[in-house]
This record gives sequence, structure tokens and C-alpha cells, in this order.
Amino acid sequence: MKMPDPSDETAATAATPAKDAYDEVIDRVFTLVMAREPLIEQDRALAGELYQELMTHPAARWNLLVGNSARFRSRMLCERLLAESHEAGFNDPAQATALARLAVTLAEALTPEGCGGQEAWNGLCARALAQLGNAHRISSDHLAADRLFADAQARIGQGGIGLLDLARVLDLEASLRRDQRCFGEASRLLDKVIRIYRRLGQWSLLGRALKQKSMACGEEGDLEGEMAYLRRALDLLDPNEEPRTFLAARHNLIAALNQSGRSREAFSLLFHTRPLYLKKGDRTSLMRMRWLEGLVARGLGRVEQAATSFREVRQAFLEMGLDYDAALASLDLAGALVQQARTADVRRLAEEMLAVFASRDIHCEAMAALHFFCHTAREENVGTDLVQSVADFLKRARTNPALRFVPSA
Amino acid sequence: MSALDNPQVDISLEEFLRNVRPRLKTLFAHYGIPPQDTEDILQQALLALVHQRHVVRDPESWLIGTLRNKCLLYWREHRRKLYEVVDAAVLELMAEPIPPAQEATDLRRDLASALEQLPERCRSLLSLRYQGFEPPEVAERLGYSQASISKVTNRCLAALTHRLLTSGLPRRRKTD
Repeated sequence: MKMPDPSDETAATAATPAKDAYDEVIDRVFTLVMAREPLIEQDRALAGELYQELMTHPAARWNLLVGNSARFRSRMLCERLLAESHEAGFNDPAQATALARLAVTLAEALTPEGCGGQEAWNGLCARALAQLGNAHRISSDHLAADRLFADAQARIGQGGIGLLDLARVLDLEASLRRDQRCFGEASRLLDKVIRIYRRLGQWSLLGRALKQKSMACGEEGDLEGEMAYLRRALDLLDPNEEPRTFLAARHNLIAALNQSGRSREAFSLLFHTRPLYLKKGDRTSLMRMRWLEGLVARGLGRVEQAATSFREVRQAFLEMGLDYDAALASLDLAGALVQQARTADVRRLAEEMLAVFASRDIHCEAMAALHFFCHTAREENVGTDLVQSVADFLKRARTNPALRFVPSA
Repeated sequence: MSALDNPQVDISLEEFLRNVRPRLKTLFAHYGIPPQDTEDILQQALLALVHQRHVVRDPESWLIGTLRNKCLLYWREHRRKLYEVVDAAVLELMAEPIPPAQEATDLRRDLASALEQLPERCRSLLSLRYQGFEPPEVAERLGYSQASISKVTNRCLAALTHRLLTSGLPRRRKTD
């Protein structure tokens, strides 16, 4: 039998079996799949109940329950745990880790037969490992995350894995590489993810991947690339279906426009995006909008207006316990004060920052940066460059506490 | 859902399968997959779709994209098996202690001629391989990493197989 070169369509058709030759096989497979569908749906419904039951127990007992009771060994329960871990990653990293760890245990306790085949099982195990890696990334434990992504890659290497599963693993790994500031590697992974989603015609997921890619560009300092990817992502994302991702993409685009000196354009887009923030309505989103308003105002030269926004945001973040964001907003406020030549106010703000953050859970290198800033403020020697360099360091060190602060000469 | 996604209307699985059937037949025929081998490919893909239907936005695009990939993997696997057969045959030929003189001489000449036409790196790699060097030794001598040697060897075997097939060697052996 001739082996067609897939890129050569004429070669492929040379040995083409008649289309009708497939009817018998297709009928057989369709019948089987139709018979399986209600069972899979039943499993999905049951997984919801099992998940609720698990959640009535303390996390310390989950592994025991899954290990001892066969009824918990369900692919659909594992899928549910992965979805819940992902959601928890946005506001409860410890819960995200616990759920993903349980998903790994459960996936490894399943069998290929119980998952609908070797490929499905491989995919589930790889995704569970990647999700746990992602949870560790969120908790800034990059070593553990690295190990888990290596395990996920090993699992992928062991055999076939579905394209959607592969894309998910690579997408999560790209987030880790970005946090580790390995932007080239993150970009390479995201290019693969983008190719897969395009090949599968999954446009919403492609929009998300493009947004991820834009972040890698932005953190590498390629603002034009960042904006180009964000615009393509926004074309594909639906604000009604994916409001969180859509708003995040708009937010990033406004920030990038402002940062690249196009503050008027940023102002106009912010005006049109305000309803989305208000619709989301939670205090964090509203404060992020207010922060962005301050940054755009500063870009437009309205320094007093910017300082008012930054002060408000800083206070709100402190009240909400978002210390790191409060530190960053404080530095933006310091920048505005420096622009207004209010040296005494800068010194007072620096002292306040140090007093507040010394008692909070901010990692030592970030504290070192704040100490240096405070020391320079006491000497009334703070310029906008210094504020910017400390703020840049804090942004980079946020996801990578291993970074060392080196004061610029 | 993206504006580009086909609307995810809640059609039944039965209706979805009916709609997608003509595209499946065209796709399998286009890739020349023997009908008896499509069963596993199609069953695996459809069951995966039913399992993941809550995350798949445009099931038809997903299914066609997945099946295209599986068809490519199907032929890749076939090619890999063919290269293994060629490799094993050549290794066996080289290892024969006392081969029938004329046949062995002809075969070695054909093989040498096929090797001659390969790029220099492949020529060196396969020569070492057929002189009995193990892959780690070949990697060390030619400056490849241990991780990439099997991939490079496969590429060279693919090139050798192609040369042998186009030179008509297997046919000649059969008629000898």
C-alpha cells in the first residue's frame, strides 16, 4: 500500500479507497459511541455528587477516601478536580494545590481501560501533573513546579496524548517559564499551543493563548508585539462567554498603550472598558480600574489626579491585605510625588511603607528593595528613575522570590 | 465562545454524527487510511469528544482536526516500522558470517551505492552503525547529543529507505 505524503494531496488520492468503503466501520463506531454517551453523562453527573461529598471532608482525608473507596476512582471526578483546582488558583492557592494533588493521586490510580484508552489516560495524568505544577507556580514554589512539569513531559513522552491535553500542559508550562523569566522558552511553548488550537478550530482557546503570548512579549519589553497579540486575542474572545479573560486582555492593552506613550488612545479605550469593570463589580477589579486610571492620568500629565488615584488604590489594597499590590501602588504614588517635587511627602510615604510592610508577609528581597528606597528617600535623593527601577524589580520578583535586588549605581 | 466558533447549539449526538459523516469519509479517503484501520482511530477520537464536550467549543472542527492528526500519526508509525525493517535487514546482512558470495556482493554494492547518495552526516552515521558501533558511541564520535541520536538516526534511516526503494532494491532481491 502506498504511504501518502500528507503534504502532497495528489499522492494521497492516488491510493484512495472508495469513500463508501468506510460506511460499515463508521456505522459500527457510531453505534458504539451512541451507546456509550449516556453512560459517560451518568459518570459526569455522579462525579459532581462525589466531588460535593469529598468537599464535606477535611482535605487531609481526601487521599484516604480516594485510596480506599473504588467509587471515587472516576475519570470524570478527576476532570472535575482539575477544573476546580484551576478556578481555586485565582483566589486560594492552597486549595488549588490540594485539589490538584488529589487529581494526580486519582489519575494515577485509574487505568487506561477506566479512562477510555491509553491516550486518554496519558492525557489525564499529564494534565493532572501540570495542574499541580501550576498550583505550585502560583505559590511561587518553582522547584516543585519544575519537577512536576518534567514528570508531565515524561508522561507525554511515554505514549500518545490528545492534542487538546497536550496544548493544556504546554500552556501551563509556558506560564511557569514566563514567571521564571525564560521568555524564549515560554514563547516557543505558546507557539505550539497556538498551532494546536488553530488546527483544532478552537478559537476561544486560541484567543486565550494569544493573550498569554502577549504577556510573554510584554514582560520581555516588546510592547508593540504585546499590543498586536492582545488585539488578535480580543478579536477572538467573547466578552459574554469569557468576561474575565476579555477584561484582562483589555486591561493589559490599555496599560501597554499607556506605557508606549499612547495615553490618549489608552484613555479612550479605558472609557469604553469601564462598564466591564463595573459589571464585574468586585472590589479588586474596581481597584485595578482605578489604578489604571491613575497610570493613564500620569501618562496624560495629570499628576495630581494620578496621585489621588494611587493613594486611594494603595489604601484599598492595604485594607484588603493585598500587600504586594499595595507596595506597587505606593511606588506609583511616590513617583507622582517626585514629579511634583514633594520630597518631604516622598520621605514620609517611604517610612510608612517600610513600617507597614515590615510587619507583613513580603519576601526578603522585596523588603531589601523597599529598605533601599526608604534609605534613599531619607537622604532626599529619590528620582523617578529610582522609583521606576524599584517598582520594576518588585514586579519581576513577585513571581520569582529567588531574584536578588541589586541597587543601581 | 469566540465569534469565529461555530455556534455550540445543543444538537444531539446522533444529529452531530449524521452531519459530520460525509466529512469523515472524505478525510479518511484523502489520507488513504485502509477502512479496517479507521475503526480504532475514529472510536478513540469520538469517545474523547464525548468526554470533553464541555470544553470543546466547536465539536466538528475539533473532531476533524483531531482525526487529521491521528491520520498523520498513523502514517508516521507505518514509516517508522518500515525503517526498522530496513535497518534490521541491513544489520542482518552485515552480520552474516559466510554469506552466499554473489548475492552478498550485489547487496553490499547496492547498499554502498544508496549510502553514497546520502548527505555526508547520514553517511558517516550509518557507516558507523553498520560497523557495529552502539548509538551512544556513534553520538560521541559525530558530536550529537545522547538525547538526539535516535531522532537523527531515524532521519538517516528514512533517507536510506527512500534511496533503497527508489533504486528498486527490494524488487531485485525478490526476483533474484
